[in-house]
Amino acid sequence: MGILVGTGLVVRIVLFILIAFSVLSWTIIMFKFFQIYKANSDSERFMDFFWKSKRFDAIASQVDRFTGSPLTVLFNEGYGELGKFVEGSGKADPSILSTDLGGIENVSRALRRATNSEITRLEKYTTFLATTGSTSPFIGLFGTVWGIMTAFEGIGKTGSASLAVVAPGIAEALIATAIGLVAAIPAVMAYNHFQHKIRVLINEMDSFSTEFLNIVQRNVAGK
Amino acid sequence: MGVSFSISAVIHLAVFLLLLWWGQLFPTTATVQETYYVDVVNLPVANPRAGSPTQKGNDAEAPPPPQTHESPLSMPSPPQPSTKARTAPTGKAQKAEKTEKADTSSDAAFAEKMAKLESKAESQQQEAALERLRKKVKTTGSGRTGMPAGSGSEAGSDYTAYVQSRLKDAFYQTISYTSKNPEVVVHLYIDADGKVTRQKIEKSSGDRTFELSVLRAVEKAGDKLVPPPNHKVFEGTFVFKPKGISRNKL
Repeated sequence: MGILVGTGLVVRIVLFILIAFSVLSWTIIMFKFFQIYKANSDSERFMDFFWKSKRFDAIASQVDRFTGSPLTVLFNEGYGELGKFVEGSGKADPSILSTDLGGIENVSRALRRATNSEITRLEKYTTFLATTGSTSPFIGLFGTVWGIMTAFEGIGKTGSASLAVVAPGIAEALIATAIGLVAAIPAVMAYNHFQHKIRVLINEMDSFSTEFLNIVQRNVAGK
Repeated sequence: MGVSFSISAVIHLAVFLLLLWWGQLFPTTATVQETYYVDVVNLPVANPRAGSPTQKGNDAEAPPPPQTHESPLSMPSPPQPSTKARTAPTGKAQKAEKTEKADTSSDAAFAEKMAKLESKAESQQQEAALERLRKKVKTTGSGRTGMPAGSGSEAGSDYTAYVQSRLKDAFYQTISYTSKNPEVVVHLYIDADGKVTRQKIEKSSGDRTFELSVLRAVEKAGDKLVPPPNHKVFEGTFVFKPKGISRNKL
């Protein structure tokens, strides 16, 4: 690491930026990893509970057990909208589901809005990973180019092009590219992984919305 | 998020410190193969501690100087037929003319004789030189006929050249400089055990980086030196330049 001692100011600034990128990207990687892991596990448990339950009010009373799941947000939104409609139409209990088709459209809009807000929540900060993955190598490359320029200036001043003179400058310059790649590679890998996981969760939310509306509509049609 | 940031910062700090102390935690165990340089000009070098042509060997068995049986430069006493003529009583003018003719013919004969003598002397000199070379070739196996500055007892040795070679070897690994055409003159003292006891920079162009690289090279080379011949303290002055190392002739 003594190689860092001889670097110039520009290369040091570049290295500082890259290290900051790396620290932040790893912060986001860990945060999103736990967030998506909890969302997946809670969603799985919530769906089991949802299909086992017969009444919406029973589900609503237990929904706090699955706070990490985006499906619980959808359920709360859908159930809340259903309740508002039932209250507006003079019915006392929204779990009876004696609603008409106008109410179903409202529930559908509420579910769509909740889905969008959950997608936004899940995708929050992942753009920084994409930015780190795409720009860090270029920032590192800039540091390397600058360092090599400085090294060549030194060669011009000393008038010697021996390996002993050239090699340290180039090695100092190349460390910027190395750190750029160290920051970028995990960020790109994590970004792709999280995108896949979020897509799976979006599909689950769409499926749940459809199922929720189906249940509501079946009950309306059954009345 | 705050917890994740703390963990991330700690991990990065740990990685940085690990890289910082990597060399101390896991020292490189790979041995660097020593490079040997063969000085083809001064071959054969049997042992750096041996051989010196200038101390005893060649001097003792130096070929005899060319025989001075007939010095080609010394003028042989020419025959003096004219002395008689000169000493002879000069009675008549005709007689005198005859004697003059006799003088001129004897000068020509003398010149011919001189030329023959000179050619003979030259051939003898060449023979003597050849004989000298033959004797030298015969005596190289047992005599002390090493390099001119050697101080040992066997053929082809030169401790100064040996030290210079070791320094050059180390210097290639440590060379570093920041100024144009730096130069450092170092006086070395090597004790009877082959250790560099003292190193003194006698002259420097002022490039501190180059001076340090020279001192590192001396230190590096000083670990592997064999003792000087006859277990005497060796002193030598070497001029370090980016192009290489030379002996100081001063």
